[in-house]
Amino acid sequence: MKSVITTVVAAADAAGRFPSSSDLESVQGSIQRSSARLEAAEKLAGNLDAVAQEAYDACIKKFPYLNDAGQANSTDTFKAKCLRDVKHYMRLVSYCLVVGGTGPLDEWGIAGQREVYRALSLPTAPYVEALSFARNRGCAPRDMSPQALTEYNALLDYVINSLS
Amino acid sequence: MLDAFSKAVVSADASTSPVSGDELNKLKEFIAQGNRRLDAVNAIASNASCMVSDAIAGMICENQGLIQAGGNCYPNRRMAACLRDGEIILRYVTYALLAGDASVLNDRCLNGLKETYTALGVPATSTVRAVQIMKAQAAAHIKDQPSDEFAGDKKRIMGATVTEDRCASLVAEASGYFDTVISALS
Repeated sequence: MKSVITTVVAAADAAGRFPSSSDLESVQGSIQRSSARLEAAEKLAGNLDAVAQEAYDACIKKFPYLNDAGQANSTDTFKAKCLRDVKHYMRLVSYCLVVGGTGPLDEWGIAGQREVYRALSLPTAPYVEALSFARNRGCAPRDMSPQALTEYNALLDYVINSLS
Repeated sequence: MLDAFSKAVVSADASTSPVSGDELNKLKEFIAQGNRRLDAVNAIASNASCMVSDAIAGMICENQGLIQAGGNCYPNRRMAACLRDGEIILRYVTYALLAGDASVLNDRCLNGLKETYTALGVPATSTVRAVQIMKAQAAAHIKDQPSDEFAGDKKRIMGATVTEDRCASLVAEASGYFDTVISALS
């Protein structure tokens, strides 16, 4: 799974090298940034339900047609699943904050998402809207420190770009 | 391949919950000890060739049959293969110590190694002995306490800042990875 350490180790392994000083420097970089990342991860883990709920509400408000009969948010089951999807993405964002790399989002969120949403006729615009709302909702230092917010927002941008 | 962080993520994902509480505190501890971990990796990587040649030589001195005709370190071609294998095992242990997780060692080095050695007729007891010697060396290097008795005038001190407990947790972790190798081979 892609992170600073696994990238470094994979590169060293491909060349059959022992970890060299530049490899250790890279890991040191990851360690320096980790306090901001883990702060954001901790905040998000503690408030995952509220964050996901707000983002979900925002996208349904933007696209009310989704509530019409036959649309993706029309039944209770559909609504629950939409909220669950948003929560999945936010959980994967929190994993990426923990790992310090986009591996969890890449492997468990982004890979295959377009095919799934197309096959099930789920429009991607509401996902983009939910994630954009979450992206613009955070505020430093109210929610977390500025550096932590930067890490959090960068990952949301990464998912948004994967969908648009 | 996983590291300490993605390992926590994989186990949290199994219950679809975010990483929090105790798990997160463990990772913070990992980060707080980060510099000592890098020193430990450096201590092994900087002494790798000494460790490997000494471990293989030690294995042979204790069992001279290995270098007689029919032994698995005779002739040079086999000796070279044996030194190379020692280096490969030590390299993957170093990766595992850097990542804080054994998955790279298990997936890329140990998976199938026993079967390979059985097929090639490489003796398991001797291999295990070489790994045991490397385990003892790694502990000494991480603690920055190479012995006067054995090293003699070749003794080399890294001079890294070693805290009072002589990096006990990292020594234990590295020893655990060598034990993983030993149990995979025997």
